[in-house]
Amino acid sequence: MAEQRQKLGIVQRWMQAVIMHPGGVAAGVGSAEAHREIAIAPDEIESVINRSRSLSSIDRLEIYARAYYARLLECLRAEFPVLARALGEDLFDEFAVGYLERYPSRSYTLNRLGADFAHYLDETRPPDDDWAEMLVDLASLEWAIAEVFDGPGVEGRRVLETSDLAAIPAERWPGARLAPVPCLRLLAFRYPVRPYYTALRDGGEPTPPDRSDAFLAMTRRDYVVRLHDLEPLEYTVLSALLEGQTVGMAVQTAVQATVPETTRLADGLRRWFRDWSAAGYFRSIELS
Amino acid sequence: MNHRPPINPGRHNPMIHERLGHPNLGLGVGLRTVHFPYILEHHPPVDWFEIISENFMDSGGRPRYVLDQIAERYPIVMHGVSLSIGSTDRLDFEYLEKLKRLAEGVKARWVSDHLCWTGVAGRNTHDLLPIPLNEQSLAHVVERIRVVQDYLGRPLVLENPSSYVTFADSTMPEWEFLARMAEEAGCGLLLDVNNVYVSSVNHDFDPVEYIRGVPHHRVVQCHLAGHTNCRTHLIDTHDGAVIDPVWELYRLAHGLTGGVSTLLEWDARIPPFPIVHAEVLRARDYMAAGLRTSADSDHKAAACEPEDGSSVPHPLAHTVVEVA
Repeated sequence: MAEQRQKLGIVQRWMQAVIMHPGGVAAGVGSAEAHREIAIAPDEIESVINRSRSLSSIDRLEIYARAYYARLLECLRAEFPVLARALGEDLFDEFAVGYLERYPSRSYTLNRLGADFAHYLDETRPPDDDWAEMLVDLASLEWAIAEVFDGPGVEGRRVLETSDLAAIPAERWPGARLAPVPCLRLLAFRYPVRPYYTALRDGGEPTPPDRSDAFLAMTRRDYVVRLHDLEPLEYTVLSALLEGQTVGMAVQTAVQATVPETTRLADGLRRWFRDWSAAGYFRSIELS
Repeated sequence: MNHRPPINPGRHNPMIHERLGHPNLGLGVGLRTVHFPYILEHHPPVDWFEIISENFMDSGGRPRYVLDQIAERYPIVMHGVSLSIGSTDRLDFEYLEKLKRLAEGVKARWVSDHLCWTGVAGRNTHDLLPIPLNEQSLAHVVERIRVVQDYLGRPLVLENPSSYVTFADSTMPEWEFLARMAEEAGCGLLLDVNNVYVSSVNHDFDPVEYIRGVPHHRVVQCHLAGHTNCRTHLIDTHDGAVIDPVWELYRLAHGLTGGVSTLLEWDARIPPFPIVHAEVLRARDYMAAGLRTSADSDHKAAACEPEDGSSVPHPLAHTVVEVA
């Protein structure tokens, strides 16, 4: 059985190397990866793949080679429609092909195909290029939306509401820990890409935003992804809470991070907790 | 020397229930995201739906929510594209566990995939790639089907794929491979009549001999679909109506199997639901011999447009995101 698998495995690794080669089948047959399995020249290919009455063996393999990139590009365009609009079709496809070469799919599902695309754009972008850097943020935003859209949520389940928080005695607040809903994400951007994203998605021709830190919370209610802009300090406190810190520790983190005016922070906290509970960010609260 | 016994796959084995004991669900449609609103609003009188398993097995959002509503009203069959039963990579038990849980969750009537491999060395091409058809690959596939069936606790149903290459070290026709695979592994078959036609043109074989050759008592389901004619070959694009020669093969398959659950796949340039439903209902015309002839209609395959990227073999299974 091991020998049987070995022979089948050789043919499969060879065929995969051939049809995934970005230079086409002839280049794929000549590649080192293919030669490690079956060392043949393109004109010897009929020793592995039959020809048909109408097509040569190479032409037949080209159907799979073309389909490989066409299928996965179609999928990436569907996963990043707004980024594709921002980049234009040709540039998007060029980046997508490079991405597929460096990060070929290793998952059973196409729904994870774009998981590393923002990271790939970031690691291959030219340095000190604002537009390229902004596109990385845009790709991150679009991928996060896709993940939250179809990830775990709390539809049909109870979340903490404003009245639940109001019922907690003031002295117990510092030791309280809040458990976020599973669909809550916090995102920090170098560019305010949210309005740019929305305008592109709605068919507009917006000007790319200038560099300016921006913070966002993303969640899902009734199966619809919701985005909320966050103040910088609000983002700091919320991040600390999501890391599992108590409310008291999270506030302390914010104080150390920004040295804000105490009254400003106190006002903010009241407003933020009201907004967070209205948006359903938390599933439960643990009082120590 | 070849000691395998002669086979007569078309002959009914009295020990095997027809369709592996599964019911004939009637005429179904492949469930696609674009049709969700129509189905939820109109509850069309379609007999059953087939889902692409991978589109729902990880879903915690709206796709799964909609599926659960549809599964309350209609029988659901699960059709996968990532089992990779022919691969020499290890079986993915995380995937199998998710498949099993989804099957339980939607009360799937049966679970199908393809006789193919999708990748090797940890990579996934997301294509349904053919395997060499010989004694070695048969033993390999049969062994893996048994493992999968043990894990899922139910017989697997495997589909004949459309293919565009054949291998020099194949030693038997595909119908014979399927027949022996099904008998040895105890699995069912999903006979995709369009795939038989597409492969018959691509590989210069007689599709009638193929349809006659599969073990009819093991056919649990038929698939119908449109394809694209690229003159030198056909591509299984699922982007149009079923052409007349495929309907004629369906007529033959229907007669030989005695009637099995039949499903239309439409994956690209998808028209409104009533058009897709009406297309599969045409199958009624081919269930009774002589009721309809090819001259009554003039459906032709779409012509190949290689430069526009439309001629991509399907199914292509990814979730379409809806953003508020």
